[in-house]
Amino acid sequence: MIFKIEDVTVYFPYDNIYPEQYEYMVELKRTLDAKGHCLLEMPTGTGKTIALLSLITSYRLSRPDSPIKLVYCTRTVHEMEKTLAELKVLHDYQVLHLGTQAKILAIGLSSRKNLCVNTKVLAAENRDSVDAACRKRTASWVRALSTENPNIELCDYFENYEKAAENALLPPGVYTLEDLRAFGKNRGWCPYFLARHMVQFANVIVYSYQYLLDPKVAGIISKELQKESVVVFDEAHNIDNVCIEALSVSVRRVTLEGANRNLNKIREEIDRSKATDAGRLRAEYNRLVEGLALRGDLSGGDQWLANPALPHDILKEAVPGNIRRAEHFVHVLRRLLQYLGVRLDTENVEKESPVSFVSSLNSQAGIEQKTLKFCYDRLQSLMLTLEITDTDEFLPIQTVCDFATLVGTYARGFSIIIEPYDERMPHIPDPILQLSCHDASLAIKPVFDRFQSVVITSGTLSPIDLYPRLLSFTPVVSRSFKMSMTRDCICPMVLTRGSDQLPVSTKFDMRSDPGVVRNYGKLLVEMVSIVPDGVVCFFVSYSYMDGIIATWNETGILKEIMQQKLVFIETQDVVETTLALDNYRRACDCGRGAVFFSVARGKVAEGIDFDRHYGRLVVMYGVPFQYTLSKILLARLEYLRDTFQIKEGDFLTFDALRQAAQCVGRVIRSKADYGMMIFADKRYSRHDKRSKLPGWILSHLRDAHLNLSTDMAIHIAREFLRKMAQPYDKTGTMGRKTLLTQEDLEKMAETGVQDMAY
Amino acid sequence: MSNQRKRLTGEREDEDDEDAEGIGEWERAYVDDRSWEELQEDESGLLRPIDNSAIYHAQYRRRLRMLSAAAAGTRIQKGLIRYLYIVIDFSRAAAEMDFRPSRIAVMAKHVEAFIREFFDQNPLSQIGLVSIKNGVAHTLTDLGGSPETHIKALMGKLEALGDSSLQNALELVNEHLSQVPSYGHREVLILYSALCTCDPGDIMETIQKCKKSKLRCSVIGLSAEMFICKHLCQETGGLYSVAVDEVHLKDLLLEHAPPPPAIAEFAIANLIKMGFPQRAAEGSMAICSCHKEVKIGAGYMCPRCKARVCDLPTECTICGLTLVSSPHLARSYHHLFPIAPFDEVPAFSSLNDSRRTLGKSCFGCQQSLIGTGNKPGQCVTCRKCKHYFCLDCDIYIHESLHNCPGCESIHRPKSVSLMEE
Repeated sequence: MIFKIEDVTVYFPYDNIYPEQYEYMVELKRTLDAKGHCLLEMPTGTGKTIALLSLITSYRLSRPDSPIKLVYCTRTVHEMEKTLAELKVLHDYQVLHLGTQAKILAIGLSSRKNLCVNTKVLAAENRDSVDAACRKRTASWVRALSTENPNIELCDYFENYEKAAENALLPPGVYTLEDLRAFGKNRGWCPYFLARHMVQFANVIVYSYQYLLDPKVAGIISKELQKESVVVFDEAHNIDNVCIEALSVSVRRVTLEGANRNLNKIREEIDRSKATDAGRLRAEYNRLVEGLALRGDLSGGDQWLANPALPHDILKEAVPGNIRRAEHFVHVLRRLLQYLGVRLDTENVEKESPVSFVSSLNSQAGIEQKTLKFCYDRLQSLMLTLEITDTDEFLPIQTVCDFATLVGTYARGFSIIIEPYDERMPHIPDPILQLSCHDASLAIKPVFDRFQSVVITSGTLSPIDLYPRLLSFTPVVSRSFKMSMTRDCICPMVLTRGSDQLPVSTKFDMRSDPGVVRNYGKLLVEMVSIVPDGVVCFFVSYSYMDGIIATWNETGILKEIMQQKLVFIETQDVVETTLALDNYRRACDCGRGAVFFSVARGKVAEGIDFDRHYGRLVVMYGVPFQYTLSKILLARLEYLRDTFQIKEGDFLTFDALRQAAQCVGRVIRSKADYGMMIFADKRYSRHDKRSKLPGWILSHLRDAHLNLSTDMAIHIAREFLRKMAQPYDKTGTMGRKTLLTQEDLEKMAETGVQDMAY
Repeated sequence: MSNQRKRLTGEREDEDDEDAEGIGEWERAYVDDRSWEELQEDESGLLRPIDNSAIYHAQYRRRLRMLSAAAAGTRIQKGLIRYLYIVIDFSRAAAEMDFRPSRIAVMAKHVEAFIREFFDQNPLSQIGLVSIKNGVAHTLTDLGGSPETHIKALMGKLEALGDSSLQNALELVNEHLSQVPSYGHREVLILYSALCTCDPGDIMETIQKCKKSKLRCSVIGLSAEMFICKHLCQETGGLYSVAVDEVHLKDLLLEHAPPPPAIAEFAIANLIKMGFPQRAAEGSMAICSCHKEVKIGAGYMCPRCKARVCDLPTECTICGLTLVSSPHLARSYHHLFPIAPFDEVPAFSSLNDSRRTLGKSCFGCQQSLIGTGNKPGQCVTCRKCKHYFCLDCDIYIHESLHNCPGCESIHRPKSVSLMEE
């Protein structure tokens, strides 16, 4: 359908549109008009992605003189593929109606592991080794060598791509990763380098968060993006954590040992190249004297170093004299490693600010702050000069240099925490030195500054006013949309008491109470006997889950559950969990029914959907607070309180509730779907906790469902499941229109959007 | 308001569970009856019985529309000779008490009614019964045309035990139905009360097998929607529904009584050889071929081999000829030519309605169509004869009578011309 939103003609590839999609587009359009940033919360399953894509591409079409570029960031490769598939439908529709002028170039960009077509390179098992295998075949010096020595293996795809040079272009169209690979194979061009090259020409780019947020990667991939870009972060409820992780480094014993080995190797390399080709090292030295900014023309095309998170003036400064020489640099690193080793040998937990860390480093190891700042770049430059291709083996030293650079650069928003052992296992010494970032705004600041509009959107962004404070930006629009539904297809319940009327909670003083454990068990036993197919349970932590399952096993509760359904458990092992999930799905498919035990904040809670029959019920046992004794968390809370005036309690509840919402939100992925959510903890009935849940859950949480005991919950569940099994009318009845046609929209445009159905 | 009511009943239930032994017999009657569920509060807080007639009528209209919508385009072929297996799940879940007195008793009661209704509407068809118990499917009765045998076998042993297995039931039914003649329509209707199925093998393969052998599988669930049942019905072209309460269960069951549209690739017209046996003379003595008993009078004689059978319709046990009587054929006939659904008419609310002279009373039962009290009376009209009918007569005409009294009473010559149209 084609309709107008103010002055923009929107091309929407379906015949009907949900009212919330329409509103979403209106708000988005205003953001684009204002050239500002926005926060939009809309439940999953309402077609967020297509609304976004269709508005932004239509906006582009309506403003041919100032074309905007869309940068769409997703969390996983799977989401990337889904987004591109939707874009394809949209693009076909627009081309059908507008002809060739609507043609755009849209590409997905991922790591070499996902894009490579060279079978020999792909044989490597993980991402880093694929990268290294690729570099071994494509680095400029390797290719230069191969002209003399034909035995050196090169990548044909890359050679062909290089040969085509300027002509290596993608024709307009939408390319998923699969399409890119197919195109590359067909033409004989390397899809990875082609995609990277095309980034500057593409109208729509879909890639992972890291390409924008991680300073190490962002510089290479994203530096050529123009200012007139719209950046979208999809599923961005955890964006603050992603930002923080991008700037946090942890160093362990193993890292230091590995780094030492790396240094020895670098040392050998230096000696060797000194003997064979001293000129190269001298050339590098000269270049460094002139300043880092000039290193662009280092050795034709291999510019895999950059650091946009660093203030710009650093790049213009010359590298300090004491690390210009390769040997000196190695010495400095050696001293740094020694110092870190000494610090790790501590008996008690230490917490320090970067400033005092740097000053003690200066006094004890004689490395000053400016030197530290340049470590990462200097290392990269050195590795290039030494022509090291197997970069994956040099990860430890890179980590250490990354650490040094961050410590040297930022004086605020970080702290260094050294723990001699894991809090939960005090008898096993496992010293760890963590540089943890507390300020999510540091990593995302360049993005906000650089691009015209940044859209942060997700199914759960409640409370929506906290995000601007955490990321320190001012949105022009921040709104939360509800879901218009033909029937009440979600049934949230707060369970506060067991069947014996005793309160249930995972509060610290109650969690090991046998009565609570038994009540939790009884709840599940009863539920599995009345809920068909899949049931998912989320626990607050692995240790709690292990404990409660062990108790259930002893008391025979697990056996009762197994009579009705098969039981699968998430573990910290990814392969094992994948296998468990796979079997869980099979059990749901064939009608046997299954229960999946999982952990909030785990991989499953974040990325796996339990839609349709894979999840008819999700039980959230307890409130998933973070581990509050963790030193890192305490430091962050302190920082948040001092800098952003966010109270500790507020932040903890916010974080716990968004995790809970994320967990229970897994159960419903579309409007035709239905599912129940049980919040099994008495604390959920309190207003301060409950009010932080997203609006689309709250609006279905009736007062009568706020304080239930097990048997009342059972009764409600029975009724709900029967009701949902009845056939229903998809378009909605006259009172609650949930699908709008073109005429409806036209009528609405006349009467004004304000009179809409809410 | 309704929430509170639900909560009340919810609490009520656990009390029942806890001290079901302790309550007196007089009390039990009320507990079992749950008469409070049939009451609701009106705006002023007074109690009044729930008025369901409008809802039922709306449901019925929807059913009718669905049927006629399918029939509107082309005349659909219907399988009049059906071979139906009814599978009843007597697993652990069937013992639950959410239908009173228990699911198993309710199922048996309504299956009995269904069997009678089925033979009434499909005199040429046959039924067999299968039960699932302890994860194994048992044959209760083989295919046959006598309602009494089935009902006797069904009521014989009512107990709920063990797990349930959909695959075992399907395999058994599929095996039984593989022998029926090609013109017969193979169907299975599963009453499923469990929420899982413990199968020995891959049920997906079994479903594909059913699909290949053109077995139409329908499932009526008693508690909630199960994916595998839905999948089974989608694959094989059957209906899947879940009963909300006892009345709904009955409706859902009876929906399966009229013959379903024939599967397209299966709808080849076939000629079937049938015998129309004569009723044996009163007082004549013969050994019947079905029970091997000596019987006086009552019975029919196969026109081909002269064997005696007790009931019609059936298949002659000696020569295998299908034996029917002509009313059986006639009764099956109306499925092919249903009466068009009546049009809804806006209610006659005021006396000075211009059309009140036309039909202020129902043509069927002669009762006034003008609404009583503040509730407007609803009525419908036949498209052909333009007579008005009340809602009860509407349902009666379409579901039982299969003739419009208005059209039938029009003068002969006119009706002939109508028929020629």
